[in-house]
Amino acid sequence: MTIYLMTIAILLLIAPLLLSFIKALKMWLLYKKPISIFQGYRNFSKLMQKETLVSQEASIITRVAPFLVLSPLLATLLFLPPVTHGAFYVSFVDAFTITGLISLSTFFLMLLGLDSASSFGGMGSSREAFIAALVEPAMVLTIFSVSMMAGDLGVGQAGANLTAHFPKEHTASFLFAGISFFILLVAENGRIPVDNPETHLELTMVHEAMILDISGVYLAIVEAASSVKFIIFSSLFASLFMPFGMQFGFLAALVIFLAKLFLIATAIAVIEVNTAKLRLFKVPNLLGIAIVFAFLSLITFYVLGA
Amino acid sequence: MFQFDTLSLLFVFLILIGAIPNIFYSYGYLPHIERKVHYQLHYFAFIGSMIGVVISANALMFLLFWELMSLTSWQLVLTEAKKKKTIDAARFYFLMTHFGFLFLLLFLLIATDGNLELGFAQMQGIVGRFAYPTLLFFFIILGFLSKAGAVPLHVWLPYAHPEAPSPVSALMSGVMLKVAIYGLFRFLFDVLYPWPLEWGVLILVIGSLSSLVGVLYALSEHDIKALLANHSIENIGIILIGFGMGMIFESMHLKVLSSFAFIAALFHTFNHMSFKSLLFMGAGAVLHQTHTKNIEKYGGLIKAMPVTALTFLLASISISALPPTNGFLSEWMIFQSMLGSSNLDNTSLKLAIPFAIFALAMTGGLAIACFVKAYGITFLGLHRSSNAKHAHEVNRLMRLGMILMAAVVISLMLFMPFYIGWFDRVLTGLGHLSIYDKIFPDGIWHMHSVAIHGGVVSPLFLLAALIGITALLMYGYKALHVKERIHRTWSCGYRTSARTQYSATGFAGPIRRFFGWLYKPHEHFSKKDIEGGSGKFVDLHYEVHIKPLFEATLYESVGKAVNRISYWIYRFAHFEQIRYAAMIFNLTLMVLFSYRIFAHQFSWPTLAIEGTIMLISIKILIIGEKR
Repeated sequence: MTIYLMTIAILLLIAPLLLSFIKALKMWLLYKKPISIFQGYRNFSKLMQKETLVSQEASIITRVAPFLVLSPLLATLLFLPPVTHGAFYVSFVDAFTITGLISLSTFFLMLLGLDSASSFGGMGSSREAFIAALVEPAMVLTIFSVSMMAGDLGVGQAGANLTAHFPKEHTASFLFAGISFFILLVAENGRIPVDNPETHLELTMVHEAMILDISGVYLAIVEAASSVKFIIFSSLFASLFMPFGMQFGFLAALVIFLAKLFLIATAIAVIEVNTAKLRLFKVPNLLGIAIVFAFLSLITFYVLGA
Repeated sequence: MFQFDTLSLLFVFLILIGAIPNIFYSYGYLPHIERKVHYQLHYFAFIGSMIGVVISANALMFLLFWELMSLTSWQLVLTEAKKKKTIDAARFYFLMTHFGFLFLLLFLLIATDGNLELGFAQMQGIVGRFAYPTLLFFFIILGFLSKAGAVPLHVWLPYAHPEAPSPVSALMSGVMLKVAIYGLFRFLFDVLYPWPLEWGVLILVIGSLSSLVGVLYALSEHDIKALLANHSIENIGIILIGFGMGMIFESMHLKVLSSFAFIAALFHTFNHMSFKSLLFMGAGAVLHQTHTKNIEKYGGLIKAMPVTALTFLLASISISALPPTNGFLSEWMIFQSMLGSSNLDNTSLKLAIPFAIFALAMTGGLAIACFVKAYGITFLGLHRSSNAKHAHEVNRLMRLGMILMAAVVISLMLFMPFYIGWFDRVLTGLGHLSIYDKIFPDGIWHMHSVAIHGGVVSPLFLLAALIGITALLMYGYKALHVKERIHRTWSCGYRTSARTQYSATGFAGPIRRFFGWLYKPHEHFSKKDIEGGSGKFVDLHYEVHIKPLFEATLYESVGKAVNRISYWIYRFAHFEQIRYAAMIFNLTLMVLFSYRIFAHQFSWPTLAIEGTIMLISIKILIIGEKR
C-alpha cells in the first residue's frame, strides 16, 4: 500500500517535469538554448498566484469544468498498473473504464471551449471532437487485442501478467498493438503531428484553442490535467508494451520505470522535431493507420496465433 | 387473455417509470395545447395500450393493443395539425407503422394457424411444423424493427418525433420503441425458439449499421428533436448489437455468455428509456421557451434555465456512455459480451465481430461529439436569437417531470445490481441459466464480465472517487481565496457577439467533411460584396442540407418506380380504339404462334422468324411512332 501511494505521488510530481523535458530536448535538438526542465513547475506556481479572469459570457460550466477535467484523470492515476512486483494495485477497474474516464475529461474540456462564446474555443472543441471520435475505435480494438495477450482486461492485472510471462508466441500481434497504441498516445496528448502544443496560431491549434479563454488557477488546473494525461498514457505504454524490470526491488523497479517514461518522452521529442504537423483532414489517415494496426493485431492473433 | 410473467412485468415497470414523470411533464405542457380533450384522451389511451401490448397473452389481444398503440400515437403526432409538415410526417408514420403491422399480422396468422386466440406457448408447436422458419423470422424483423426504427426501416423517426408535442416524443422515443424490443424478446424466445446462427448475425449487422447511421445523421442535424430521434436509431442499434450477440452465443451453445449479452441488451433498453425521455423533455422545455426547433437559434440557455440545463447535462453524459453513468454500464456490458467472441470456435465469426466492435466504439466517439454539440450550442455561449434571450425556466410541473426522470437515470446507475438481478430472473423465466452470481461473485460492489479474461467495473467506487477528488479540488480552490474578475471574452480586439461564435453547422464541419462521401451535402452559399471590392461583403449566407442516404436511394427509388408503373397503366387505359384492336390482333397472333411452337413442333428458326414478326407488329401497331 505504501508503495502504491508513493508511486502515485511520484508520478504526480514528475508529470510537469516530463513535458518540460520534451520541450527542452526539442529546443536542444534544434540548436536553441533549452529551457530549464523545471519550467513546468515554475509555470504552475506562477499561475497559482494569479487572479482568475472569467469571461462575462461564461456560465457555471467554466467554474466547474476545470475540476471535472482534472478529477477523472487523477482517478485514473489511482488505477494504473503497479511498477514493481507484488505492489498493491486496484483490481476492479478495467481498460474500458479508463478510456471512459479519459473521454469524460475530454467531454468537459470540450464544453469548456464552447462556454466563453469565443470562436477559438468552438474551433478547438470541434476539432477535438473530430479527433476523439476517431481515436475511440482504435483504442477499444487495441485494448481488446492486448487483453487477450495479457489474459486480463484489467490494466493492473494485465501489466502484472505481461511481466510475469511475456507472450513470446504472440510477438507479432503484440508489436502491432504497440504501434497502434503509440499513435493513440500521440493523438490523445495533442503532440505533433496531430496537434502542436506550442503554437497559438488558430490554423493549427486544438487543445490550446479550447483553453484560450481561461486563466489563473483554472488554467493551472487544466495544464496539470494535460500533463497528468501524458503521464497516464506513457505509463500505460511503459507497463503494457515494455513489460520488463518489475521483478527487481522497489527502488530498482521504480528507476527502470522512470527510465522507460523518459525514453518515451525522448521518442516523442525526436518525432516532434522530425515531422511537421498534419493538416486536420490528414489526421484521419494517421488514426486510420492506428485502426488498421489494431485490426491487424487481432487478425494475426486469431488466424496465425502469432 | 392476459399474462403476468416476469418479462411482461419487467416491461410494465419500464412503461410505468417512463410514463409517470411524463404525466407530470405533460400536465405542465398542457396549457399550450389547443385540443386538450383530444390530447388527454389519446395520451392515456396510448399509455394504456402500451401496457396492454406487454401483458397480452394471445395473438388477438396483442394485435389489438399493438394497433391501438399505433393509432393513438398517430393521433398524438397530429395534435398540432396545422402545418403541412406535421400532416406529412403523421401520414408517413401511419404508413410505416402499418407496413410493419402487415408483417406482424402475417406472422401471427401463420403461427396460430388462423386461430388468433392461441397463446404464445401453443404457437411454438405450430411454428415448429412450419417448413420455412426463416420466413417467419423475416416477418418478425420487418414487423418489429419498423416500429423500433432500425436500418433500413428507420426513416420515419426523424420526421414523426419532431412534429409530435414534446411529452409525446419523449414517450414515443423512450417507451414505445421499447415495446417493439419486448415483441422481439417475446416472439423470438417463446415462439421461434431454436435459432440458426445466421439470424443472430443478421441482427448484429442490422444493429451495427443502425448505430452508425443513427449517430452520423444525428451529427448533421440542426433540428434538436430530429437530432434526438436519430439518436434513438443509434441506441436501438446498440440494443440490437447486444441482442444479436446473445442470439449468436445461444446458437453456439454458450449459455452463460448469451445470458450476459441479453442482460446487457435489456439494461440498455432501460437506460435508453430513461435518458432519451429526459433529453426529449429538456428539448421540449427549450422549444417551449424559444418557439423554435433550430439549434442555431439557441445559446446561453444555462443561465436562464438551470434545471433544464443540468438534467440535460446528466442525460448527455449518460447517452455518451461516459463513466460512471448508467449508459456507460450497459455499453460496457455490451462490449464485454463482444469480447466474449474470442471464445467462439468459428474463425470467420471471430474475425467478423471486431468490425461490430469497431462500429460500436466509433458510435461512442461520435455520440460524444454530437452531445457536446447539442449541449454546447444550446446551453452555452451567447444567445443566438432574441427568442433565446427572453427564455426563462419552465413551469413547476415540467421541472418536476424532468427531475423525476433524472432520478430514474440516477437510480439505474446506483441500483444497477438490483436491476440486473431482475433482468437475470427474466432470462431464467425464458429458459436461460441464472448468471447473477457470476456477474456479482463478491458482493454488489464489483460487476464482473462473464467472458474469459473479462473485465471488472465498480460504478459506485468510481462515482465515489470522482466526487471525492472533485470535492477535494474544489475545496482546495476555495481555501486558496483566489480573486476573481469578470471581463469580456478576448477575441482579437473585436467584441464577441452571437454571430462570431461557433455554430452547430461549424461544429460538425470536420466530421461532415470527413464523411462527405456518405452525407453528399447540398451546400448553399451566397455572398453580396460591397461596391468595388471582392474581399469584403455586406451579406453572407451559408447553409448545408443533408438528405439521408436511405431515404434518397431506397425510399425515393421505390417511389419513382411506383410512379413509372402507374404512368404506364395510365397510358394503357387511355389508348385510341384502333390501338386496342391492334393489341387484340397481336394477342391472337401470339397465341397462334405459341401454339404452333410449343405444343406442335419446336424449332429455333421458326421461333426466331415468328418472334421477329411479333416484335415488328407490336412496334408498328401498338407502340407506333415516337412523338
